[in-house]
Amino acid sequence: MSSTNPASAPAPARLADLAGARGRTLVHLLRTTTPMLTSGLALTLLLAFVAGAGRIVTPLTVQYALDHGLLHPHTGTADVVLRAVGVGAGATVLAAAASGWLNRRVFRRTEAALAQLRADGVARIHEISYERFARIPSADLVSRLTSDLDTVTTFVQNGGVLLLVNAAQMVIAAVLISIYSWQLALPVLAAAALLLIVMRRIQAVVGRRFSVVRERVSAMQSVIGEAITGIAVIRSTGTERRSRAAADESIEQVAAAQRHTLVPLHTNTALGEVAISFITTFIVIAGVRWSVDNTWWEPGLDLSAGELVALLLLVTFFVRPLQLLVTMLGEVQSAVAGWRRAIEVLATPSAVVAGPGARELPPGPIAVDLHGVAASYGDAASYGDAADTVGVAANVGVAAGGDSAANARDIAAGDGSLALRDVTIGIDPGEHVAVVGETGSGKSTFARLLTRQLSARRGRVLLGGIPIAQVCDRSFQRRIAIVPQDPFLFDATIADNILAGVHGDIRAPEALEALDEIVDSLGLRPWIDTLPDGVDTRVGVRGGRLSAGERQLVALARTALVDPDLLVLDEATSGVDPATDVRVQHALDALTVGRTTISIAHRMVTAERADRILVFDDGRIVQNGRHADLVTRPGRYADLHAVWVDHTLAADHVPHPREEQAEGAGDEHRESATRHTLRNDRST
Amino acid sequence: MLDGSRAHPVPALVAAVTGIINGTTMILGAIAIGWATDHLIVPALAGDDVGRAAWWIAAGAILGVSTLRWMTIIARGIATGFVQHGSQADVRRAVVDRYLHLGLSWHRRHAPGQLLSTAVADVDALWLPMLNFYFTLGMVVMLVVAIIEMFLRAATLGLVGVALVLAVLGLNLLYQRVLAPRAAAAQAQRGVFGALALESIDGGQVVRTLGLVDRERARVGAAAHGLREANFAMGLVSSVFDPVIELLPTVAVLGVLAVGAHQVESGELSVGVLVEVVYLLLTISIPLNVISRFLSMLPISTAGRTRVAAVIHSTETTGHGDQTLTSPPDGEPAPPDGEPVLRAGGIGLRARGAGYAVGGIQLLSDVDLDIAPGEIVALVGATGSGKSTLVDLLGRQLDPSEGVVEIGGVPAAELGRGQIAARLAVVSQSPWLFAGSVRENLQLDGHPREHRPYTDAELWRALASAGAENVVRALPAGLDTRVGERGARLSGGQRQRLCLARALVREPGVLLLDDATSALDPAVERDVLAAIAELRGRVTVLIVGGRPSSVLVADRVAFLRAGRLAAVGTHPELLATEPEYRRILHAYADHSSHPGHGWHPDHGWHPDHGSGDE
Repeated sequence: MSSTNPASAPAPARLADLAGARGRTLVHLLRTTTPMLTSGLALTLLLAFVAGAGRIVTPLTVQYALDHGLLHPHTGTADVVLRAVGVGAGATVLAAAASGWLNRRVFRRTEAALAQLRADGVARIHEISYERFARIPSADLVSRLTSDLDTVTTFVQNGGVLLLVNAAQMVIAAVLISIYSWQLALPVLAAAALLLIVMRRIQAVVGRRFSVVRERVSAMQSVIGEAITGIAVIRSTGTERRSRAAADESIEQVAAAQRHTLVPLHTNTALGEVAISFITTFIVIAGVRWSVDNTWWEPGLDLSAGELVALLLLVTFFVRPLQLLVTMLGEVQSAVAGWRRAIEVLATPSAVVAGPGARELPPGPIAVDLHGVAASYGDAASYGDAADTVGVAANVGVAAGGDSAANARDIAAGDGSLALRDVTIGIDPGEHVAVVGETGSGKSTFARLLTRQLSARRGRVLLGGIPIAQVCDRSFQRRIAIVPQDPFLFDATIADNILAGVHGDIRAPEALEALDEIVDSLGLRPWIDTLPDGVDTRVGVRGGRLSAGERQLVALARTALVDPDLLVLDEATSGVDPATDVRVQHALDALTVGRTTISIAHRMVTAERADRILVFDDGRIVQNGRHADLVTRPGRYADLHAVWVDHTLAADHVPHPREEQAEGAGDEHRESATRHTLRNDRST
Repeated sequence: MLDGSRAHPVPALVAAVTGIINGTTMILGAIAIGWATDHLIVPALAGDDVGRAAWWIAAGAILGVSTLRWMTIIARGIATGFVQHGSQADVRRAVVDRYLHLGLSWHRRHAPGQLLSTAVADVDALWLPMLNFYFTLGMVVMLVVAIIEMFLRAATLGLVGVALVLAVLGLNLLYQRVLAPRAAAAQAQRGVFGALALESIDGGQVVRTLGLVDRERARVGAAAHGLREANFAMGLVSSVFDPVIELLPTVAVLGVLAVGAHQVESGELSVGVLVEVVYLLLTISIPLNVISRFLSMLPISTAGRTRVAAVIHSTETTGHGDQTLTSPPDGEPAPPDGEPVLRAGGIGLRARGAGYAVGGIQLLSDVDLDIAPGEIVALVGATGSGKSTLVDLLGRQLDPSEGVVEIGGVPAAELGRGQIAARLAVVSQSPWLFAGSVRENLQLDGHPREHRPYTDAELWRALASAGAENVVRALPAGLDTRVGERGARLSGGQRQRLCLARALVREPGVLLLDDATSALDPAVERDVLAAIAELRGRVTVLIVGGRPSSVLVADRVAFLRAGRLAAVGTHPELLATEPEYRRILHAYADHSSHPGHGWHPDHGWHPDHGSGDE
């Protein structure tokens, strides 16, 4: 698998790579992912043949009318011509009807298939392993389901069906030519075959270049996406020019890649034209010569002028579709490249744990056990990359592949980048554990490990006594929840967001009742009441109309409503004001009863209320105990707590630096005074 | 199409000329075959001696015309590609440029997925017909030549040809009429799907942890279904019109034959004329088909053009004046008779009766706040009280809907482009990084006023002040480690520190910190705040945050309540006069005073403590 990214970048986790996949694999994928495309193929082909035949019959009718009537006018000519016209009209109507039906049928099936690919694609994106998912830019994933698949629609609606009809027409014409004269047909077919072989060669080049176009379009989407989502930062730093330059560069890259396809693409088209002229010349020369004075090695024919003219006409019906085929090669390639990129999403193994190997979590609060666990965000591939086979994924693959893949990764990356090293800890069912430590000490990694956003490189993680990789997704999602620091909200109302995790009708009275209850029990009512539309206030794209703290409150309510048996709070209230924070913490006390809770916090107010505290430092648990015990013992926790005390309580009874300092005093002096007061307070 | 051609005149000219030549080769090809039929096929098969020359001329004519044709195919194709892809790139650049100019309030109203869809899919749609433009141009020329030829033979023949052309074009117009609204609907639906898909993927973590995959499949699937219906509705129209338009010339031929046969029989019409009509009708059916195909792409193009134009013609950009901020560069002495406002260093901020409303909702009203140069002010308020909105106004991310914001004594809207960005730095609540290395994220365009790249020493100094030095040192490639990919490598606190460093390295005159230390642990936050306190007198700082730590480093505190500035004063003053302020600032202390927990400000530390310190 070759990467087209700049070499300096670490190889990102990728989707399944089908760039080198063979036709058979692609057809298999086509049949398994979108069966509606291939089912009823017989009728589709029949319609194409009727439409194609209709196109040939009409000109033949004209030829017949000319040869048998008009060129030798006699009484009854009109009848002959009228009969011929009647047959021709019938064939034309039939061809039009077949064409219309065929168009309709192909459009309907293609669009159904694309809709299916889009919906399944979104679902699969949510099913692939989180580590893989987290490292692919959103814009890349989106482009696979949008602009890439749009190329298929564009192709089908702008000539794809025509191509099908023309292919049928070509086959019919070839058969008719063979009937007139197999001796002439043979070289014609051989030339067509030779042309196809050469074109396939060039087409491979064109195909590769179109793949590059699609990749660059995807890269361009990422860059433009960044200019859109990062507009606030770009504006405030005044770096519009930089973003514009990056976008311009990526846009130019796309245009350059597109231009790069032109020469082989149109060379191919021209080749078709060359072949057509040689075939035509051959029919004229050989057709006449073999009928007139063929030498010993040439076949002898007995064609009349009329037959030869008809043959020439048939040849145009054979080569004109060929011409169309080659003029449309670009669109075909573009559509195939787009479709392949979309299908790569579905060919990426699902990491969903389900089926016979998957296990349910035991009922009630969930115990957590870690034995000698190490974790990292190394650049080594995530699950399944080593065996990036193209087949549609088997559902249980995560647990099975885990160990050997982990070993391979250990060899690949050193221990230097470990975010967690040798963590062994047991958390009892129903316990409320606080996790503290400095930023970067491994707290969040611990949370990600327990919520399967990251897999352990070494050691064992057990939930309710079951290895975490074997816990079935259904059980995992219903029983385990995490509230992250920067939660994501959907562009909907607050109520919709809070009720997102509720399965079933969220408009039902029971759901709304539950909503009211959770808002009240978390103490969010005062905040909700300040909003213009209460819980029906729309939160905007990504919750952008709410502040960071407000988004956290919504996420907390959303998770509380899921009623999980293992709740992980990853600095879930870092953005809310202290008064609200305390109110919510009180409410969470009630919520934590009857479930295992792990609160990751740098505000000790959370830690103080926990049953037990785990102190992380440099990826290890360095202290483990009750607040009352740890706070009096010299060590990491006492230090952290002391700083927190400075933080929260100092302001209350410490004279403000302003009051101590004379107006206009030197900065240095004032600063040292501030430090001084901090120090004073700490040693209270 | 024409504007694209004008923008790329050389390839456009090449494509047009070769397109026209290519069109004429169709006629030349017919002539060559006709010559071969008359001078070789018919006489030879009739047993006449045609001579060697006839063989060579026939073969040479067919192959010669073909050579001309394939050469023009290559040239036309390549030149067309240059025009098409060049035009796409031009419009894309214009769209992105517009995005970068449009105000934040505009951006907040538009889903990123929609905007992305316009920059990519809509631009593609706009230039789609270009693919066949010059091909079609050649066909038009051929059609005109063919019709002129028909008129030259007989006026009635010409009229038959014109009638057929008019019929096909009329049908095409009708086709476009029916198709246009459907094409627009499909393009809109495309945007809807793109926006939903992007939202779903961005919300991947929530989807996974709450088990919403099925919900998302249904929700985004519904949009996919909408797109499917819209595309199919378009297809339905073309499935009726396409065959009719394609077969119309055939019908004309059959009609002429049926009518003509009687006239030939009765001797009113010569066979030769009838045969010519038939052949010419068959001949013009090819260009008519090509032209129809081109025309059928136009509604799609129009739909794309409309959506692109909606972006390009948006006028909601941020206006700029030509005033400059004249604060002395850091470290240099103030000008001798400089304004007193600027003497202390830093740049003052002032809001006068500032308010902000969006969608009829008043987020902030009547704020009067004066921040002196070099002063550190804390902005405190309950969650949802309007703190971030005020920061947006003071940093001119948004313009107030009423009142005025002054930066350095100048109304913000009168300042020249780039003036604010060069001297004012913002760190927002949600740390946002570019996909790129740490260095690229800090470096951006380099020093905003001195127009030079930062040195590594400067970068490291900023990282140290932001408490991010160790974070970056721990990264596998240090400053050159790529960050900004969704999630994986950096925690929220680490990203926040990088964003802080990005602001500090710019050596701004004003620093707006919108709860920018929320994800830092207390020890790091303490160090960062200490570093910020050292900026006093040199940089004007506004710190948003309700924790006592940030209030402590501030000279004054502004207290927001429900979108109004409730009070401004020193921390002790506000503690004394504002009960709600007191409630927020004391929340943690009061909370900790529950039995079993050691702390209360008024009672001190219960269990024997202190051994843990120093």
